[in-house]
Amino acid sequence: MTTDPHPAHKSRWCRIAAVITLMIVVLVALSLAHRFLRDRPVEYDDPVEHFKYGSTGGERNLGFPYWIWRVLPEVCAEHLPGGGFESVGMIYEPGKDLPVGMSKRRHMGIDRVFLNCAVCHTSTVRTAIDAEPFLVAGMGANTLDLMAFQKFMHRCVADRHFTPNQIIPRIQAAGAELDLIDRRIVYPLAVHLMRDGVAGLLGRLRFIHTQPDWGPGRVDTFNSAKALFNYPIEDLRSDELLGTADFPTIWNQAKKQGMQLHWDGNNDRVEERNLNASFGTGATPRLIDHSAIARIQAWNATATPPAFNAHFPIEPDLAAQGKVVYEHYCADCHGKNGSDFSGRYVGQVVPLGEIGTDPYRLRSFTPQLALNLGTPYAGTEYRFRSFRKTFGYANAPMDGVWLRAPYLHNGSVPTLWDLLQPSVIRPKTFWRGNDRYDQVQLGFVDDVAEENGRAFFLYDTSVPGNSNQGHEGERYGTQLTYDQKWALIEYLKTF
Amino acid sequence: MGKLMQLPRWVKVGAVLILISGILVGYIGWDRFLRIYPAQTFDDPKERFKYGSIGAEQDAGIPYWIFYALPRVFPDMLPGPGGYAAFGVAWEHGQELPIGFSKQRIGFDRVANNCAVCHTASYRVQHHANPVLVPTGPNHTLDLEAFFRFLVDCAKDPRFNADTLMAEIDLAADLDWIDRLAYRYLIIPITRKRLLEREDQFQWIYRHDFPEWGRGRDDAMNLTKYFMIRWPMDDSFGPTDMPSIWNLKKYRPELGHRMNFAGDSHNPYSVIIDSALGLMGAEPKDKDDFLGHIDWLVEYLSAKPAPAYPFEIDSAKAGEGEQLFADHCARCHASDRTGTVVALAEIGTDRERMDTWNEKAAAEANEVVDEMGIERKGLVEEPLSGYVAQFLDGIWLRAPYLHNGSVPTLYDLLLPVAQRPVQFYRGYNVYDPLKVGYISQGKEAEHAGTLHDTRARANSAQGHEFGGGLSEQQRWALLEYMKTL
Repeated sequence: MTTDPHPAHKSRWCRIAAVITLMIVVLVALSLAHRFLRDRPVEYDDPVEHFKYGSTGGERNLGFPYWIWRVLPEVCAEHLPGGGFESVGMIYEPGKDLPVGMSKRRHMGIDRVFLNCAVCHTSTVRTAIDAEPFLVAGMGANTLDLMAFQKFMHRCVADRHFTPNQIIPRIQAAGAELDLIDRRIVYPLAVHLMRDGVAGLLGRLRFIHTQPDWGPGRVDTFNSAKALFNYPIEDLRSDELLGTADFPTIWNQAKKQGMQLHWDGNNDRVEERNLNASFGTGATPRLIDHSAIARIQAWNATATPPAFNAHFPIEPDLAAQGKVVYEHYCADCHGKNGSDFSGRYVGQVVPLGEIGTDPYRLRSFTPQLALNLGTPYAGTEYRFRSFRKTFGYANAPMDGVWLRAPYLHNGSVPTLWDLLQPSVIRPKTFWRGNDRYDQVQLGFVDDVAEENGRAFFLYDTSVPGNSNQGHEGERYGTQLTYDQKWALIEYLKTF
Repeated sequence: MGKLMQLPRWVKVGAVLILISGILVGYIGWDRFLRIYPAQTFDDPKERFKYGSIGAEQDAGIPYWIFYALPRVFPDMLPGPGGYAAFGVAWEHGQELPIGFSKQRIGFDRVANNCAVCHTASYRVQHHANPVLVPTGPNHTLDLEAFFRFLVDCAKDPRFNADTLMAEIDLAADLDWIDRLAYRYLIIPITRKRLLEREDQFQWIYRHDFPEWGRGRDDAMNLTKYFMIRWPMDDSFGPTDMPSIWNLKKYRPELGHRMNFAGDSHNPYSVIIDSALGLMGAEPKDKDDFLGHIDWLVEYLSAKPAPAYPFEIDSAKAGEGEQLFADHCARCHASDRTGTVVALAEIGTDRERMDTWNEKAAAEANEVVDEMGIERKGLVEEPLSGYVAQFLDGIWLRAPYLHNGSVPTLYDLLLPVAQRPVQFYRGYNVYDPLKVGYISQGKEAEHAGTLHDTRARANSAQGHEFGGGLSEQQRWALLEYMKTL
């Protein structure tokens, strides 16, 4: 009687306490779930904005924490050729905090960013030295030095400055509001996971350290594909370990379905070619956002290059003369014109012995690789079925040919004018990476080393993989008269 | 009954819940581990031969995603770069699996082999060309020994664990949570255990005092001896060339024809059953299904003709050669003697293959198959005495020559033993229409192939020395004629 005067009262309190505790636990769990389980990309309604900044799903794989990405140029300043990611040729549109070709997603409690398709397929063009650059979605990224970017990331995550103690204060200084969980748990962990992820990926891509510099606007696509299969790079033969090629344009894809795509024509299905390229954005079969890819495909199925005459004049009479030359020499292989790709040999492979261009890119795509490329997307309707080993280079349609410079698969010839000359008088060296257009010879300015504070890359045609030979002789137009060549160039401006 | 009704309500509800979840777990377990889904069927008999399941997935099957991940996780264990292509499998563009690999879902997708893995030939007309694949021809590029060792070596490696494999599988597969758990906690550990169990029986392929089988060969009777009848390891070693298996109707047991190089089996039906059992890895679960596949194979392979020679033939020269063939070769290769055993003393080729097998092993193997309830004439329960005089149909595509594949081309085979190549490379598939065989020397052959040294054990190129008396001109004429066979 004396020990417990109010038993009913006490048990009621107990119940209330239990309910409150339970509610707190549930609330904490809900808020943690809301914080850490959300998985949402930043989305864009406009198809071109989606192409430039939308997610392919790949950030969930190797996505860099947004804030770490933001401070990386400071943390590892000594490993960048200049200030910011602009110095490896990334493009920032006014008012944007991420470069073109980078998407963002809320994932694992932080914003994560990674490259998308546009990083390699968008560039800027200037019509004059002091003109404002304009952005062209779908053309090869002429200014992007992807190898330099990869090497930067590789060195940066291995740098002594790549630690939470160095990075987190910079993130705060850059304006991020980090709470205790961010500072003590999320970002320290993110630093380690990012180091691990980048080291793992770039470890597989270690072949780049054996290669001559790609320079801006080029990539070794199929040695990168070998990394996907985790090939033992050290055991590869030296003649397949180099396959540097120019970034292609990706307009008018619907009309290119069924053609032998890629420089060596190793696949004739647009959708497989796109999924294969998407691996470069981190989009693996488990993570890829097929609807996001479908939106890009819907856009580039009919996307067209900007017209030359929107920026520069075309002389109609001269172009009309050039049309005759084009139809005689070029149309069978390169299509009727810039929008009609019909032609007897368009989209077909010409044997190497006949075309005579640099063999490295062709050799880098080995028979074994072609076979292994039957396996990606296994177990799904998307599985690759169309990769074939070929023995030459494919005849590409010429839409937007004025923006496809430098020319040939390895980007070894700076202008169309040079391509119409025999290889012995094509430039032996030239500067790549300038976005200032040369409307006379059709190509980008190639004879200045530096402009407006930006240094360019000296392309040397004597380096392995860089040969500017081939695509020459009577039937390739290099023996046309001076006047015929200028007429032909005038006509090509209409493409 | 009355007592049951008196149980408290929560007990009854609990019991029902436990029962329901038990059924559910049982169903999921059955569905994800045991349920046999029909294997893919093929209308085209050629496709069925290349990719059709013979039922080996049940016991010998490797879980699909492990099979997928292994060359990516263990590239250092492969004979070279290129994933499974490095083993020299015949693989068609755009196919997820090489020829001779079949896939069936038994709870989960599993990969196993069929006959075509060893019996699909490939040749190229030049280095810069894609290969022509010829199902039922000998796979002279396949490094089967390396493939066997690869699977065991992977299982022995500390990286063969759920964390490492799942990280790779996650790059490729979109598995649901049940499959993920199944792979992590059951399928990966069990597969590892099953692969490790093979190590004991594979001891002899790890012996350093034996040469490599090399591409295109297998030590078939030792495989039978150590896996089917589970004999202890002995010291024998006798790899032979992968044979062609087209046109099996030529073998007529009633005329005394024997099969296998040393004449150790009675008829096509027996050979196909025994080879298939080797692929199955255990007694077939569904015997009718198994024998159905066997009957189909017998029918298909009996009727399948040898492929015609794809290059030009000089018919005048071949005409000269025809007479030479009649004079010098027909006695054994186009006569009553063809398909029967020629005594070792007469043929004089390497004897090691013969010594890998004997009548006691044959009797035991026959007993094992009998016990499975499979009736067949089976292996020959007599001492072996020599090698079978071969039918020469499609001989152009059966290089290298002799039972142990010790002579690279037909031209070399017509030379006296002393003039035959001492060393050459097997497994490079660019065809040599001049000497009739594959290019077996030079940088590319060395890169693609494996070295065959005729001085190593069981590799001798001795014997069958019947062309020594021919003039050089006669040799070329004879060679031309043999292209027509």
